[in-house]
Amino acid sequence: MEVSVIGNPQAKICRAELSFRELGFRFGSGESRNKVSFLAHQSSKWKEIRIRCSPRSVKCEAVVSDQAPFLKPTSNSRSLESVKLFVGLPLDTVSDCNNVNHMKAITAGLKALKLLGVEGVELPVFWGVVEREAAGKYDWSGYLAVAEVVKKVGLKLQVSLSFHGSKDPEIGLPDWVTKIGEAEPGMYFTDRYGKQYKDCLSFGVDDVPVLDGKTPLEVYGGFCESFKSAFSDYMGNTITGITLGMGPDGELRYPSHQHETHLSGAGEFQCYDKHMLSALKHYAESTGNPLWGLGGPHDAPAYDQQPHSTPFFSDGGSWESQYGDFFLTWYSSLLTSHADRVLSVASSAFSGSGVSISGKLPLLHQWNKLRSQPSELTAGFYSSNGHDRYEAIAEIFAKNSCRMIIPGMDLSDEHQSPASLSSPEFLLGSIKASCKRQGVVVSGQNSSASVPGGFERIVENLKDESVGIDLFTYQRMGALFFSPEHFHAFTVFVRNMNQVELSSYDQAVEDEAQTVSIGSGAGAHSLQTA
Amino acid sequence: MSTVPIEPLLHHSPLRRTSLNGARTFLPSSLNLRCHFTSKKLHSIGRGIASGNSLGFLSSERRRSIAIRASSSDTAVVETTSQSDDVIFNENFPVQRIDKAEGKIYVRLKKVKENDWELSVGCSLPGKWILHWGVSYVGDTGSEWDQPPEDMRPPGSLAIKDYAIETPLEKLSEGDSFHEVTINLNLESSVAALNFVLKDEETGAWYQHKGRDFKVPLLDDVPDDGNLIGSKKGFGALGKLSNIVVKPDEPGADVQEKGKSSSGSTKEGKGLEEFYEEMPISKHVAGDNSVSVTARKCPETSKNIVSIETDLPGDVTVHWGVCKNGNKKWEIPAEPHPEETSLFKNKALRTRLQRKDDGNGLSGLFSLDEELEGLCFVLKLNENTWLNNRGEDFYVPFLTSAALPTPKTNQEVSDSGFTAEIITEIRNLAIDISSHKNQKTNVKEVQENILQEIEKLAAEAYSIFRSTTPAFTPESDLESEDEKPEIKISSGTGSGFEILCQGFNWESHKSGRWYQELQEKADELASLGFTVLWLPPPTESVSPEGYMPKDLYNLNSRYGTIDELKETVKRFHKVGIKVLGDAVLNHRCAHFKNSNGVWNLFGGRLNWDDRAVVADDPHFQGRGNKSSGDNFHAAPNIDHSQDFVRKDIKEWLCWMREEVGYDGWRLDFVRGFWGGYVKDYMDASKPYFAVGEYWDSLSYTYGEMDYNQDAHRQRIVDWINATSGAAGAFDVTTKGILHAALQKCEYWRLSDPKGKPPGVVGWWPSRAVTFIENHDTGSTQGHWRFPGGKEMQGYAYILTHPGTPAVFFDHIYSDYRSEIASLLSLRNRQKLHCRSEVNIVKSERDVYAAIIDEKVAMKIGPGHYEPPSGSQNWSVAVEGRDYKVWETS
Repeated sequence: MEVSVIGNPQAKICRAELSFRELGFRFGSGESRNKVSFLAHQSSKWKEIRIRCSPRSVKCEAVVSDQAPFLKPTSNSRSLESVKLFVGLPLDTVSDCNNVNHMKAITAGLKALKLLGVEGVELPVFWGVVEREAAGKYDWSGYLAVAEVVKKVGLKLQVSLSFHGSKDPEIGLPDWVTKIGEAEPGMYFTDRYGKQYKDCLSFGVDDVPVLDGKTPLEVYGGFCESFKSAFSDYMGNTITGITLGMGPDGELRYPSHQHETHLSGAGEFQCYDKHMLSALKHYAESTGNPLWGLGGPHDAPAYDQQPHSTPFFSDGGSWESQYGDFFLTWYSSLLTSHADRVLSVASSAFSGSGVSISGKLPLLHQWNKLRSQPSELTAGFYSSNGHDRYEAIAEIFAKNSCRMIIPGMDLSDEHQSPASLSSPEFLLGSIKASCKRQGVVVSGQNSSASVPGGFERIVENLKDESVGIDLFTYQRMGALFFSPEHFHAFTVFVRNMNQVELSSYDQAVEDEAQTVSIGSGAGAHSLQTA
Repeated sequence: MSTVPIEPLLHHSPLRRTSLNGARTFLPSSLNLRCHFTSKKLHSIGRGIASGNSLGFLSSERRRSIAIRASSSDTAVVETTSQSDDVIFNENFPVQRIDKAEGKIYVRLKKVKENDWELSVGCSLPGKWILHWGVSYVGDTGSEWDQPPEDMRPPGSLAIKDYAIETPLEKLSEGDSFHEVTINLNLESSVAALNFVLKDEETGAWYQHKGRDFKVPLLDDVPDDGNLIGSKKGFGALGKLSNIVVKPDEPGADVQEKGKSSSGSTKEGKGLEEFYEEMPISKHVAGDNSVSVTARKCPETSKNIVSIETDLPGDVTVHWGVCKNGNKKWEIPAEPHPEETSLFKNKALRTRLQRKDDGNGLSGLFSLDEELEGLCFVLKLNENTWLNNRGEDFYVPFLTSAALPTPKTNQEVSDSGFTAEIITEIRNLAIDISSHKNQKTNVKEVQENILQEIEKLAAEAYSIFRSTTPAFTPESDLESEDEKPEIKISSGTGSGFEILCQGFNWESHKSGRWYQELQEKADELASLGFTVLWLPPPTESVSPEGYMPKDLYNLNSRYGTIDELKETVKRFHKVGIKVLGDAVLNHRCAHFKNSNGVWNLFGGRLNWDDRAVVADDPHFQGRGNKSSGDNFHAAPNIDHSQDFVRKDIKEWLCWMREEVGYDGWRLDFVRGFWGGYVKDYMDASKPYFAVGEYWDSLSYTYGEMDYNQDAHRQRIVDWINATSGAAGAFDVTTKGILHAALQKCEYWRLSDPKGKPPGVVGWWPSRAVTFIENHDTGSTQGHWRFPGGKEMQGYAYILTHPGTPAVFFDHIYSDYRSEIASLLSLRNRQKLHCRSEVNIVKSERDVYAAIIDEKVAMKIGPGHYEPPSGSQNWSVAVEGRDYKVWETS
């Protein structure tokens, strides 16, 4: 029968595969380490891959030489090797009673990610969970447990300190803060209808001692210090980065869109709390226009109105007038100074801890094809010169040596509805340009909803040479993430940018090989014990 | 350079030769390599694969199949074939057959000369048997072993440390499966006893005697720990080989008897007796065989000829079908079928393989039409043993290159599952790594383990996350596609996290604008946490409440007009509540009298005649068949066995889904007709959720409710079963038992003899719709009212327990409202669902307590209960009169 012949085609495969390549092999020894080089000859170009072996030859690290892009389909795009990939843990990883939710699932998920070669995970830490009961009374137990698991699995940790509340899962501000808020409603952002946004304190009270005699910034500072000492064993090794919550949903912005359902509009200005109004009044008086300080713009559209429906954001509308410049300059300056305050609190708390500090910006792409770019204006991004609205912010980040996280790297223009007049790609480009000019390192994130073609878009963004993004956080772990369809797509994505993972993977494998050679049947033994 | 041995998992080459044009075409194909790397060349192999698109597993299809076209890879290959046929598939599948082999271990002590005895230990099963043994010397205490004197050790023995000897059992004769070892004993030595266990080197299994070592005493005074053999004491309990099945009825037992008699007859020296004992053992023997499948194209006959050959022993039947339209659904091919083929349940063919001419193995030839896409099969060895291909059917694809455009190939390849893909992907990584390392370790195996591990872990994480996350809000098209497998919606259970609200009572028709009144409560009901609303029967009805329907297509009722109904449904959909229509299918009021003056002729769009009425109710003189259930005597009962009736009802249900927007059904009086018809209706109308009212009496003895209501719940479960689980049923049993338990302070009733809930919810929780009151039992009718003042205990029970709870309208708008609201929010917050685990911790006279899913604890009754203080931190979630509910925090 033909079985025997067809059943043994090895030789042919080898021949076929080897025929296009010639390989060279060189073994030499450097000063302190042995060096093995493989030389592959391919289409008249020599490529060199070096393997560096420590003298004990236990760990091997693959080093790919920079000059010869290795296994890159195109040579002009940026290599993804340096991008560290993180995956966000579920927002409700730790419940408001400091219990770790779905610990089993997370542990399994972490091991899977580790084996896949992901660098680490992002852990959202909520103020409302840790300092829930009373000012200065911190309970880190839930988060410490998570950090321990992450450490055991051998992953890195990016911690997001969240000074905001969340709707889903429902985690509010600390109980004691909420209680104060009942007596002091002015500490919340307020819109012109008097409706408060209770998931974040107003920028207007940053330096007002509303919290039992302390300013919110002092309280945030205390929180950071407590975090640092509680997690001192992890700082700089397991924990490699800390992201400071800068506003609603952790993003640096005003809560101009308070409801998901109102996204059709450009949002509303949030300057109607007591403290902001008085600051506005003061500012107006100091600039000689006391009448402008009586309130916010009267002709801005409501949440659910189209930006063009009232004059404020129209071409030649109030936003471009002298008044508009006055108001928007003041409104945006509060955002900028809030950013400065928060980041300096963080950098004073964490400098020297061996962790990077970052803050997150929003990607307000809705309506950004309008000249006024109204979504950015209501959220607090403005510049008098008409462009470079992110320049001032980027400068603040640079001053505090902080990284900037930009979300929405999975969004592409072609998937936006034409009616929304939206160009996420353009906006992303302009923020990145500001960062580049100011020398701010950019980290990437995707938008939380999964979007068509998202992974491809992320890879394109990461390859973009203009701003070297070296850290990407994928949001976020959960049932959807591990559903076979999605997890598969994610695996492919990881593989597409796997060169750096290769080395860490390599080490894991090296450990595995040791256990196997001892005779253990279970391959992933050492990881299972984690 | 050094050689690179490669052992393909699935072998086929990227080259393909077609006989039509003789041209070589490259087709994308996939390749899984198992490689032992010994040289740096590997590197280039890995690269070559990775950089080509040959590893194009692109799809996320999860099915795993090994349907990869093999092809002749070289001219030489084609030449070796005896025919000019084109080989289109060739694969050798390894199969592992697990046989349970039964046999015996025997121990024989025999006298050779005065002081020379022989101990033989043998085993009748094939294997690599080792006797692991040692001795006890006179004067030894304890159970330690010692090494036997040199002269006792048979040739081939190996000393293990300083206490044991391993001696292999030898085959008694070639071709015989009996293995035996014989040890010579000299009674003059100071050996008091011999200890041994038997080890099978093939499987690594140890065989002991009653959980301990075998012990053969050579002296009388050896302490008996119950593991002696050969002594009378130890004898009675023989045959207890740990590890393995004991079959006292085996012939072995007879042999024991014989052994006993022989041992009784000889009595000599030092009281030592000859004996022979047998103990049955069994082991699983894996037989490695293979199945080789070759498919050839035979242009002359336009047939594909598949040859299946195997070296499996015994009779082998191929259980097979063919595939047509790109799916792997089994179909029966047109005749003629091969010899010795029989049809199996119209689903598959069975062909017995014939012994090959040379006597080695079996083979079968299947000649199939060219246009078929493939052949699926499994092998059947005997009634209980089936062999498949690693959990999948064997699949032989017939597609030919001519019929195969390139994209199709991708499609085909992408059929390989999600796992296969990840594995392949990362195997490439493995190849890279091993090439870097230039190591001869078992990296490949490690990699495969890792890949499997990733897959396993991701699946584990997925299943836990999925079970703790009740619902997703689809946020984009892509996501909503991803959603589908997230939560399995079944008409019997909905999402599994449903909470019903009965949205009316017996008086609701009175205002004439109930739909509108209800609409105003939509936000409120949604915020309370309900997910499903049950609306009153919508049709024109002889009675105002709607349960005497007349024209099913007239949806103007005392509750409002059809437009108001539609608006109401829309309103509830907006707040995320699904809406059930109350479908009265058992009976229908007639429009006209027949010639005898009996009302049994119908009008309206469904103008059925008396054939639609069951024949066994004399009041209505129906001409249909006898009823398939109980009769409801106030109106003509519909004969669901009539095709035209069923067709019309299905149409009507679909129309109600379409027109009104109902998501599912509450089915009235389903005792009246067979549950199988309900399944039919559910299949046709595809409801999101459906629940039937199967209400009959519980069993009482002298006016006292029986503790055991199994017969009652069995009837309900039988009905659900008849619907194939397509609908749930109201848990009347639970309501009844709660009545008795609460009314008379008999909370012990709330645990059945097996420690489970005593209602339907204890047997089939996912299909039990628990309730304490409805428009019939309570409201202004009060046919079977829940014990007054104890309603909250009832809700504390059903809203914390598995099953799908239903809350009665009147209770929501009563003083109980806030307590009910707290329980609802607890249920939603703790994500209790219809399959939650309930652990009953107390069911005594005055208190019943249970812990559900380890995160909610509850008690009802005046007695005391506190959840255990321990690792879990319990905090009180809701409490009220005679009930208390805790949750973990």
